[in-house]
Amino acid sequence: MKRYDLLTPEGTRDLLFDECVALREADAKLRGIFLRRGYTEAVTPGLEFYDVFSSKSRYFSQEDMYKLTDAKGRLMVMRPDSTMPIARLVGTRLREEVFPLKLFYSQTIYRVNPKNSGRDDEFFQSGIEIIGGDVRRSDLEALSVAIDVMAAFEAEDYRFEIGDSAFFAILSSQLGLDEEQLDEVRTLVQNKNYSELSECLSVHCGNPYAAALAQLPKLFGGREVFDEAEKILPDENTKFVLKRLRELYDNLCALGAGERMTVDLGMVSRNEDYYTGVVFKGYAAGYGMPVLTGGRYDKLISDFGVDMPATGFAVNVNAVAHLIMNNAHGRLTKLPDVVVFAEEGSLVDGMLHCRELISDGLTVDHADFKTLDEAKAYAKERGIPRLDVVSGGDVTILNLSDGKEA
Amino acid sequence: MSENKTLRIALTKGRLEKDTVGLFEKIGFDVTQLREKGRKLILPVPGQNIEVVLAKAADVITYVEHGACDLGVVGKDTIMEHGGKYFEIADLGFGSCRFALAVRRGDGFYGGYGVKTVATKYPAVTRAFFERKKMDVEIVKIEGSVELAPLLGIADGIVDIVETGTTLKENGLVVFEDVAPISARLIVNTVSMKLKKESIDELTEKMIKALE
Repeated sequence: MKRYDLLTPEGTRDLLFDECVALREADAKLRGIFLRRGYTEAVTPGLEFYDVFSSKSRYFSQEDMYKLTDAKGRLMVMRPDSTMPIARLVGTRLREEVFPLKLFYSQTIYRVNPKNSGRDDEFFQSGIEIIGGDVRRSDLEALSVAIDVMAAFEAEDYRFEIGDSAFFAILSSQLGLDEEQLDEVRTLVQNKNYSELSECLSVHCGNPYAAALAQLPKLFGGREVFDEAEKILPDENTKFVLKRLRELYDNLCALGAGERMTVDLGMVSRNEDYYTGVVFKGYAAGYGMPVLTGGRYDKLISDFGVDMPATGFAVNVNAVAHLIMNNAHGRLTKLPDVVVFAEEGSLVDGMLHCRELISDGLTVDHADFKTLDEAKAYAKERGIPRLDVVSGGDVTILNLSDGKEA
Repeated sequence: MSENKTLRIALTKGRLEKDTVGLFEKIGFDVTQLREKGRKLILPVPGQNIEVVLAKAADVITYVEHGACDLGVVGKDTIMEHGGKYFEIADLGFGSCRFALAVRRGDGFYGGYGVKTVATKYPAVTRAFFERKKMDVEIVKIEGSVELAPLLGIADGIVDIVETGTTLKENGLVVFEDVAPISARLIVNTVSMKLKKESIDELTEKMIKALE
């Protein structure tokens, strides 16, 4: 007996009707924003060699990737991310291109989530990458596109949050932590686990870097955070990062994002070394996880042989579709305008009539039925108000909403 | 997230629930409905824009992680076993106990070359503990009284929650090594933390103050 022939794997789902409309609408909106700002699309393979994602740095842990082998027994993964494949492209086929390179993508991503977590293992992700270019200017560019994205979805409430992974990197590098301790401190900062963080850093009592690190996860909120941070940060390097971030914050406010902007200096890169500068997230009311995540990753492309700064972000398109569905009052799926039924002997005329209606801009559903009664019942059941009956060269238009011929 | 202005907080049913309700009372909240709850699982705190949800420990994490609840009170034991993405912003101090490795009185644990077998209700905690020691162990998941496993000879030791150690003692076991301290934690959904910062800060401050 086949046990799984009627099921989809955990973490995957079929999308139907309104779900599809919302998904495509989300994708089209994003695509429109990216195209108008001069980004060009890249489509990368759904299957990649495992090595692309595991090469020099360990950005992805092997438990998080779906793996299979090819005909030669080589280890492959289902694409867990689009940034690494694009970095691979930059290191190979795009070496000679004109930089900065502005690319966007819109494709499915596969990740292994913990069992029964209710998260999607397969989802649509769309985003941009800016490769090369002046750091300050491309940060502002990436962020202003991201803000346009958040604004485009008319979420009931949303926030845009920026930070810089350099704070954690600089502060923690001064404490002489080994890899394991560094991981522990990173997790504590990331989880805003204030009490355990203080305890963990108490051995560095009196060290201004440790003191600042202990405060780091508390430094989030509005503009006031910058003044608080100014008092706590111990050296010129971190103060310079702060100054840059404040400038970016002010610029984004000047672009109209003011009341949506927040800052969190405790944002750290989950994976070691992935982000190297400004990081940001978009949150929307009605969705329990960030809808948009991004940041600067200046070291990643050098893993593929070209040393080049880069920044970008990814949008969870399924999350955006979810928001569109929530906001839509009534159905998203559009019904056909007309059902066309052709009498026996008029099949070609029927099809010609369909073509004519389509060229007039209507949506047409050709009735694949033998009798007019069946076609009528079908149109009524679906709620399509107009039925055209084609007989020889003649067309009779039935208005089904009042049952009379128009 | 729960509705815009209301804060929804999930409490772990049982002892942590009682301690948290006690804390709320100390703050000055009206906790009559929380005390006389009957079979209801979602309870309002009158005049506070706070809604209390009662759930099993692991479900508190699930609700907070998915944003169905903004905050949660849950033991560090459940956090360690289940992981997940959320902020763990305060140690509430109550419900304190510890994870420990226990063996039969007089037994060692680390000697010999054979792979050790450990019985536990907390396989993830146990695995992480021995992974840090770079040590292979066989883990047996037990649902009921873990103390039985070494007595029945299927495990060399157990990793379990120890409060007073009485149960261990009565079954001829002793704590061999502490694994981690445990107490109740206040956890927060990562999006709520940003979208409802002011009301979350306010509640957290009140709770921490009442702890003192």
